[in-house]
Amino acid sequence: MTRPYTRQEMMAIATGREIRDGELAIFGVGLSMLAGYFAQAHHAPTVRAMTEGGVYGSTPVGGLPWGIECNRISANATSFTSALDALGCLVASGRCDVGIIGAAQVDRFGNVNTTGIWDGEIGDTYRPPKTRLTGAGGANDIACGAKRYVIMVTHEPKRFAERVTYVSSPGYLEGGDTRARHGFIGGGPSAIVTTLGILRPHAVTKEFELDGWFAFSSVEEIRANTGWDLKVRDGARVIAEPSDAELAALRKVDETGVLRRE
Amino acid sequence: MAGNKLISLAEAVRRFTWDGMQYASGAALPVGSDAVVFGRELLRHGRRDLHAVFHCNTQQLNLLAAAGAVTKAECGFSGLEVFGFANGLRRAVESGALALEDYSNFAMALRLMGGALNWPFVPATVNIGSDIQDRSAFAPGEHPAHGKIPTVTDPFTGRPVGAFSPLAPDLAAIHVTLADPQGNAIMLGTEWSRFELSRAAKRVVLVADAIVDTACMRQFPNLVRIPDIVVEAVVHWPFAAWPQGSPGMYDVDEEHMRLMNKLLATEEGTAQYRRDFVESYDDLDGYLALIGAAKRAALSATETAFLLDPYRRWILTADAVAALQAQGGAA
Repeated sequence: MTRPYTRQEMMAIATGREIRDGELAIFGVGLSMLAGYFAQAHHAPTVRAMTEGGVYGSTPVGGLPWGIECNRISANATSFTSALDALGCLVASGRCDVGIIGAAQVDRFGNVNTTGIWDGEIGDTYRPPKTRLTGAGGANDIACGAKRYVIMVTHEPKRFAERVTYVSSPGYLEGGDTRARHGFIGGGPSAIVTTLGILRPHAVTKEFELDGWFAFSSVEEIRANTGWDLKVRDGARVIAEPSDAELAALRKVDETGVLRRE
Repeated sequence: MAGNKLISLAEAVRRFTWDGMQYASGAALPVGSDAVVFGRELLRHGRRDLHAVFHCNTQQLNLLAAAGAVTKAECGFSGLEVFGFANGLRRAVESGALALEDYSNFAMALRLMGGALNWPFVPATVNIGSDIQDRSAFAPGEHPAHGKIPTVTDPFTGRPVGAFSPLAPDLAAIHVTLADPQGNAIMLGTEWSRFELSRAAKRVVLVADAIVDTACMRQFPNLVRIPDIVVEAVVHWPFAAWPQGSPGMYDVDEEHMRLMNKLLATEEGTAQYRRDFVESYDDLDGYLALIGAAKRAALSATETAFLLDPYRRWILTADAVAALQAQGGAA
């Protein structure tokens, strides 16, 4: 495939486009941070960017931070606080407009698993996973508290399941009004941005449907890589390729080229 | 000096730890501040059957779990951020040797705050509706796990909320940038949950990268988030968080982070790591030599070094600290 950008870069740019100027936005470590800082560098200069680490006012120096508490994001901060402040006062309170989280596995209602991979169902008795993953971290708190959030995930059949084995971070649970019954402060996932396209929830059923595909992908490729019978929305269309300005802004943020490796 | 609490690392582990205890680390997420060296010392003393309370996994928990010293752990995040999965911890969890009880990062902070305030429980609307609430590694037969995060009714609005159990670990070893000999501490970088933990734990030992004169604390009392009145002992240990970073002091040692996590992925590798990086030094000088002078200089040339500038004039020399430690910590 010859195109002047990678799938990862397209995913980061498409995610960044979900962030609006002036919003209070919380980013996770790694790709989600790059997408968020891309938005700030490109179209959202007054976005109030934060991480759950309680490090405020800073932009990364010397490459992608190793973590959200790392020196690479602590060298030009204007405030250092705490988990209770970042995830509590600013997210659980309902103040946070938008978050970006990652996923090892996501399902048709936008529930995210980052806890483990089991061989089959867990069963009634909890048992160790075959492969232990990272746990929820702050993603559960963002999923419960942010007004909306975007899930960023590589589009592969094993990651797109009819039902995640373990709900680490709640999306719309069993769909319909099941999320609303729990009384979360936040509204739920507004989009799943993948390496192939963008899925959005149906207004009533809350089932994620295909809203658009990237220029290098197609409805067929996306359906083939989705573990449920993915519906295609009326009006679904190809998503604009990155502009020169978008690519330049992203690559300035991704100075070590993490996203340029296919 | 009155109230001088400086003691050696070995003495702190001898005096304040035991097999089967609930042990908490005071850290700043997986790659930043953490008294990783306290975990090394726990292994050197053969401590086992630990119940680890780690707001987030760090290389310390990764090491303790890989070595089989932990049977229970409670965590909000169990990876190593950009360094990937924590291989020692995941191996212990996957084998069933270690029961890992999952919470979210905010839930862990709330539980520490609950312990600090001696609240019966802490209400919140996170973790509910997910398998964090429904599944318990500590009570695997219960599904849903009613005793982990019970749903209670908000008496004012009638809505359902999660009730979180407070944490009060037997000991917290808290990594700080600067401490005075009495146990007043300044943390550079995010404090994460070290403020709450310092009040929640039954006992607190500070592990400080540098020791300063108390005049430093009197100059910046607003920044002293851990005061001496909650602290039992102070340990001076430069590069205490290595291979993790400490803002103002030293950067993450990328090479050793990867080497350590690679070795902890297997039993043989863990044995090699223990031989080379846990049992191989006798004292602080030996530990610093193990990291190496060139590596320490490179890691110290951090973009955050300016954060330390306001405090440098009060940092005590190694000789002055050694003299204080010789008379400190009278029980």
